[in-house]
Amino acid sequence: MQKLELTLAIIKPHAVSNPVVRTFIRNILKNKFIVVKTKRVTLDTDTACKFYEEHAGKFFFKRLTTFMTSGCIDLHVLGHVNAIQMWRQCLGPTSVYKGQFQDPYCLRGMFGISDTRNVAHGSDSQDSAEREIKFFFPEFSFYQWRIDDEEWFRKGPITFNDHFFQHVKKLA
Amino acid sequence: MITKMNAVKVLFRNRTPTVFINRYYATTKKKIPDPDEEESLPIFQYPTSKSSDRNMYLWGLAETGALGIHIPRGKNRKQYRNNFSLCWYPMRSSFAERFDVEQVAAGYGFTVASIKTDEQHKVFGMGINTDSQIGYHAPRMGHPLELLLSPAPIFLPYKSLETKIISIDAGRAHTAILSDNEGVFTLGNNAYGQCGRRINPNEEYNGSMVSYNIKRLGKEKIVSVCCGQDHTLFVTQGGKVFACGWGADGQTGLGTYDNQAVPAAVKGDITTENIVKVASTGDCVLALNDQGELFGWGNSEYGQIPMQCGSQQVNMSYSLREFTRGLGKITDIAAGGSFCLIVNEAGDAFVWGYGLLGLGPNVEHSKTPKQIPSPLFGRNEFNTEARVEKVACGIGHLAAITNDGHLYMWGRNRQGCLGLGSSKDQTFPLKVAIGGHVLKVTCGVDHSVAVCRPFT
Repeated sequence: MQKLELTLAIIKPHAVSNPVVRTFIRNILKNKFIVVKTKRVTLDTDTACKFYEEHAGKFFFKRLTTFMTSGCIDLHVLGHVNAIQMWRQCLGPTSVYKGQFQDPYCLRGMFGISDTRNVAHGSDSQDSAEREIKFFFPEFSFYQWRIDDEEWFRKGPITFNDHFFQHVKKLA
Repeated sequence: MITKMNAVKVLFRNRTPTVFINRYYATTKKKIPDPDEEESLPIFQYPTSKSSDRNMYLWGLAETGALGIHIPRGKNRKQYRNNFSLCWYPMRSSFAERFDVEQVAAGYGFTVASIKTDEQHKVFGMGINTDSQIGYHAPRMGHPLELLLSPAPIFLPYKSLETKIISIDAGRAHTAILSDNEGVFTLGNNAYGQCGRRINPNEEYNGSMVSYNIKRLGKEKIVSVCCGQDHTLFVTQGGKVFACGWGADGQTGLGTYDNQAVPAAVKGDITTENIVKVASTGDCVLALNDQGELFGWGNSEYGQIPMQCGSQQVNMSYSLREFTRGLGKITDIAAGGSFCLIVNEAGDAFVWGYGLLGLGPNVEHSKTPKQIPSPLFGRNEFNTEARVEKVACGIGHLAAITNDGHLYMWGRNRQGCLGLGSSKDQTFPLKVAIGGHVLKVTCGVDHSVAVCRPFT
């Protein structure tokens, strides 16, 4: 059996503050992925700049960081055998104005408002997923995950905890 | 009664017929119609609508409550989860039947409407309320509502109850309400300063009771307000434009890309002009002066504000005189997310930018203003007078009202916001089936609202 892959999903402020969008996204996360960790944070400018430092100098850098600091964001660590690609497929093309005509029923095509307010962020590769998860969840141990938790989440039994919004081990 | 009487008749026929007959006549005598009495009877007339009545029609995503209409969803639990309740067709709001609706505004998942009244509650809101953009509503202390499914009054601290609401606009999570002599009231999210007050990074907006009053700007009275997604624009009596809010794309036109908490005068070419209207839905702003000339600033990633240097963000107002040369005097403007729509004196609509512009079946990028063929708006040999008068834009959809009061819509059909009865994108203007003469239309992100007057 293939091992679980981890990815980081960041739900952006305008989607978090819209109950309809938030519920829709959470239903997808809950039913399609294994939600390993969930956290709601409000970023400050320094953290946002540091997180998006690969985009520093691009024309949209300022609007991306000011947007990400404008409200609370939801962070989810998602697990699936093909998590990175699957989450990006759910999201659809990065540019909302162009992507909404190519793929009208992806999350960004349905709920994106502009190229910056594009609903959610997804890691683009295994390396960046690891870097981003470590950035937001410094306490998350990849060693522990690979040794112990991964197998449990893959084989079960697990159950969904609505209060924490994450899957947990089902105790017999 | 008669059958009963017949039975009585049969019973008494043999015994005392005369008595009964007398009685019978006595009762029917009363029923002889009196011609004078008939004259005095009231005439019942079914209620007819007056031309001063206003109807409100709403369509689009009903899930957020922005339509103020309850639509039952499927009983099946799966259907309940996956299907949004949508309004494919314009639905008449019962709220507007009860009150005289004057101004309406559609934001991101919420609607605000003002009514003609001398009482405290002049403005009503419905839809998403996570940032208190439609006021504080809580069934219990400390439990504010996130969604309002039917219109609820918004409390605003008016000095005088005779104050009239003259303009309303709504953005992604804030509302600006303009009164005739008490200035602007702003409600909702202020993370970028779009409410015109100091930014507090730790402010909690959900369940907030804050409203802010901006009385005057530059010592002049404010005559109109316009909200983009996260910025606000004010036009004063002297034709000056003030802006506050998110400026990362230059939406505020202040020469910087910073957030602006206190409204400041927009810089650039419009400082010497008398501006009568500004339009903005997304991050791009258009302004119109009293000569019918166009100005613009803000986001230009799709060529909405064409610059010689090809800049994608314009942080100061620039004149678009050269760009719109030959189009004549411009009478109405609208700016969507990635395109702009204008109308000239002759009633022709022009469009440029990126998206489903209404020029043909393909998603296209037009760098220059292109006319949408006027036969699509009903101008033909039999009706040579049909002209487009007003236009409006949502993020991805466009709307135009003709002088006959017909509403045409086209563009991206996000969650049924075109009101054409399908979920398909519309590639050319198509008339929306509305039972009234459309006076005003306003487009949100995924719903639209129209104010109509009856045909009579």
